[in-house]
Amino acid sequence: MFRKIRRLFQDDLCSDCASKMEMTRKQLYAMPTQWVGHYVPHTDAEFYKRNLTLVKKKADIPVGMYACGLIAYRCPQCGHRTVKASIFLPVRGEEKMEQTLYFNQGELRIWPD
Amino acid sequence: MENTERIQKINWFYLFLNTLGPAVFMVGMIALGVALPQQFGLLCAFIGFGGAVLWWSFLGHRQYEKKRDHRINALTEQGFTCNHIFHSEGNSLIVDLAHGQVALIFRWNPGKTYIRPASTLSDVHVEDGRSGGGPLAGSSRVSFLFRVDGIKIRVNTFTSNRRWRMDSDYILTGVSKADMMVEALRSAGAKGR
Repeated sequence: MFRKIRRLFQDDLCSDCASKMEMTRKQLYAMPTQWVGHYVPHTDAEFYKRNLTLVKKKADIPVGMYACGLIAYRCPQCGHRTVKASIFLPVRGEEKMEQTLYFNQGELRIWPD
Repeated sequence: MENTERIQKINWFYLFLNTLGPAVFMVGMIALGVALPQQFGLLCAFIGFGGAVLWWSFLGHRQYEKKRDHRINALTEQGFTCNHIFHSEGNSLIVDLAHGQVALIFRWNPGKTYIRPASTLSDVHVEDGRSGGGPLAGSSRVSFLFRVDGIKIRVNTFTSNRRWRMDSDYILTGVSKADMMVEALRSAGAKGR
């Protein structure tokens, strides 16, 4: 119970052993199929594999298009791996968060290029 | 494809017909109800009152939406590419990026579609409605504006009867929509030049 509460405030805690995980990879993507006012939530990893376009920085994302930040974590204690996907709308330097997903079963082992 | 007819935001006959028409219908039906025998009279009065209330609450708007969609379909048939369609409560704006044109349909003049080259639009900008300073900054309306044929057109992307913080989801969504439409208008304008 205490672990679950801690995890609400710290997203880099291992869901198995509750130790702090290390970030192994981080990448920003644009979502050309998702636009402001027409956002459709998806939880399927396949959708993200097919619909993400690599961008170097936030400024490269067209106005009104959603972005997805992928962060891969690995637990140094138990070796558990997870990928956190944060879907947000970039607006004038701010971020309107839409959805946060965790892929724990290796669904996003291969990232889109 | 463009028409040169002067832009008229309000067709006064249509406006009066929509606002006062149901009232006239209601009064007429009630008057008829008084003249008819009891049961028929009551039914007439009920139809008159109910019809007017329904028209004011949603039937009028539904009828406008039908007309507007019919006009957009007609535009597509004429070869107008509807790359961006934005509906606000007062008007609808359709942007054709391929031909560098914009089409306008107004809530109180749905019988006309005004098509103009996007390059003739001036003073295209976003107004986030910000008031107050620091942590108290907020807004109740976000819109984008432009001037065409000397007439200022405001298209609201967000309106509320209360004030929201500038970092609230509603305001950010409204600003994003307005920024996107302004960029679309500018790209269409650059294409039309």
